[in-house]
Amino acid sequence: MGVAVLLVSGGAAVSEAAAGSRSEPEAAVWQSPALQAENDTCLACHSQPGFSIQLESGEPLPLTIDPQAYAESTHGSNDVTCVTCHSDIEGFPHPERTAESLRQFRLDNYTVCKNCHEEQFNLTLDSVHQNALAAGNTDAAVCTDCHNPHTQKRLTNPDTGKLLGYARLHIPQTCAQCHSAIYDQYKESVHGKALTEDGNLDVPTCTDCHGVHNISSPVTASFRNSIPFLCAECHTNNALMQKYGLSTQVLNTYVADFHGTTVVLFDKTFPDQPTNKPVCTDCHGVHDIARADDPNKGLAVRENLLARCQVCHPGATANFPEAWMSHYIPSPEKYPIVYYVNLFYKFFIPAVLGPMLLLVVMDFSRAMINRYKKKAPPPPVESAAETAQPEEKPEETPEQPEQAASLEAEKPLEEEPAAEPPLEEPQIAENQEEPSTAEQPPAESEAADESKSTDEEETSHD
Amino acid sequence: MSGNATTPLSSVRHERTFPRFTAAQRWEHAVLLLSGLVLLLTGLPQKYREFSISQDLLSTPERVELIRQIHHIAAIVLALEALYHFGRIIYLMSKRRLPGDLLPTWQDVRDAGHMLQYLLFLRNDKPKFGRYNFEQKVTYWFVFFGVLIMGVSGFIIWFPVFFTKFLPGGVVPAAKLAHSTEAVVIAIFILVWHVYHVHIERTNLSMFTGRLSEEEMRAFHEKEYERLTAGQIKATPGAKK
Repeated sequence: MGVAVLLVSGGAAVSEAAAGSRSEPEAAVWQSPALQAENDTCLACHSQPGFSIQLESGEPLPLTIDPQAYAESTHGSNDVTCVTCHSDIEGFPHPERTAESLRQFRLDNYTVCKNCHEEQFNLTLDSVHQNALAAGNTDAAVCTDCHNPHTQKRLTNPDTGKLLGYARLHIPQTCAQCHSAIYDQYKESVHGKALTEDGNLDVPTCTDCHGVHNISSPVTASFRNSIPFLCAECHTNNALMQKYGLSTQVLNTYVADFHGTTVVLFDKTFPDQPTNKPVCTDCHGVHDIARADDPNKGLAVRENLLARCQVCHPGATANFPEAWMSHYIPSPEKYPIVYYVNLFYKFFIPAVLGPMLLLVVMDFSRAMINRYKKKAPPPPVESAAETAQPEEKPEETPEQPEQAASLEAEKPLEEEPAAEPPLEEPQIAENQEEPSTAEQPPAESEAADESKSTDEEETSHD
Repeated sequence: MSGNATTPLSSVRHERTFPRFTAAQRWEHAVLLLSGLVLLLTGLPQKYREFSISQDLLSTPERVELIRQIHHIAAIVLALEALYHFGRIIYLMSKRRLPGDLLPTWQDVRDAGHMLQYLLFLRNDKPKFGRYNFEQKVTYWFVFFGVLIMGVSGFIIWFPVFFTKFLPGGVVPAAKLAHSTEAVVIAIFILVWHVYHVHIERTNLSMFTGRLSEEEMRAFHEKEYERLTAGQIKATPGAKK
């Protein structure tokens, strides 16, 4: 928006005080008598009605200036004199004009704006209009196509830099000079109607979406990818949306759903990537955006939505549009299936995975504690056998030949010290501690022994 | 019964092993593991797009398309494996040869209670398990229903136009939510529960070797071991996973 500003900013002739005079244009007098005298010299001829010369093309070049309108313009009220812009004219006769046509005349002269409005002028150099001009389209808009220098009034509030209300209302007509077909769509849209019929200043005018002087091409992939955020500027604004009873969840629901997630991703990574996923305007329309409940175009009407879906999903049938949650957040009323699936997992995850995690942690802890106990107390085979299962191997494998499950139950109890066989079978004796622990005194293993015996008892019972 | 260690020699170790999984079952597991891994690796970046690694991976439409295609191919592989598995279950049921080892029983609940007591130091012996302990049954059924949910929801969001011909449209976003959430649930489950039990608690590679050693049988499946050694039944690898 900042770029929209200050038509008069750069001018040397501009002063803060002068800006104030905008409000009493009726005076139609120049700020300084000297300047007025200067202008009067020009107006002596150029205020004559119907004053014009014919260009080579046959078109007349109108030369009449309405002194009243000029005085009311932001230039006139800010001490910009005729020769501030027409600086090549120093007297009479004027230097000869070479332009063959009206258009050529305008193209020859618009660059003079740069003298005062350099910032805005430079911005236009990046614009789609300037690119078209460079490509040879002489109809592409230049400064003076949108701003008539002899009548242009101030467009922005000098304090805030924001567009003045009348300017917002006027902009669509300015653009319509060339883009009349789009204007015709716009003025029927929910935004355009509010602006053109109700004078609503909340709704977007052309420049809110397209920018002002550096208007970029709206048909590039990056512009397309950025559309959701463009719309979101207003549609996530709580105060603004509340006024019209509109949801501010439109962006996050879009991003969370099938389509938006990819678009937003590309906007973040490589905004120049074209995407086949729809952005806001693909469903809601561009200049012809309608109310959601509009019977012909509104997407809240099932048939309209289905028709939109079918553009990309040929073969979609009546149920299909419901697959898109229409920016709703699932609730028992809206999209109950989704709501309850979500609810299910909300409970299922902590209720099932939580205990599982706990069990695993407990299991691991117990194994660690057992291992620690086994290391500390000496009768090694004993404790080893009873604690961590793998440790049982050393004692049990040697018994394999006997094969008697019952025997095994008692045996280890007495025979262990002697049984020590793990040493003979290195490959299964995973616990390398075995040899070392074996040397420790058997004293403090009671606890382990007890548990061992219960363990064994149970075994034998079965 | 394959073991033949009758006399332990000091130099040569005869290890008696018990068949646990058939080659077919091990192949099934391998297919499940690989396709599941591919699905997870190609699915997570699609779910968690806010992470920079996902954004690097999915930065162009071509890559999004590629990742999706890989995901879809792996999905088909897994779907075929699931169909085979169901088909085999039905076939075995029709022949009345479906072993019930994996069906949950009250004994599993008792075993779990017993295990809990053990873990709380309320008792010092672990429960004695049959062919599959409750932990393994939980694993099977968790993955069983997980794959079912992932498969059904996955195909719904893959072919929304088809499924909404006869299902309400709301199932599509519901399937998307379920697919995306269940995936993480299974991943956490496998990481926490399965990986712990087969790699950390002990290294149990029977799903790859097909066999359990005698020690393992006695330590972890004592009831089954006793049953087998008592000559009650022939130790056939479970006909069903």
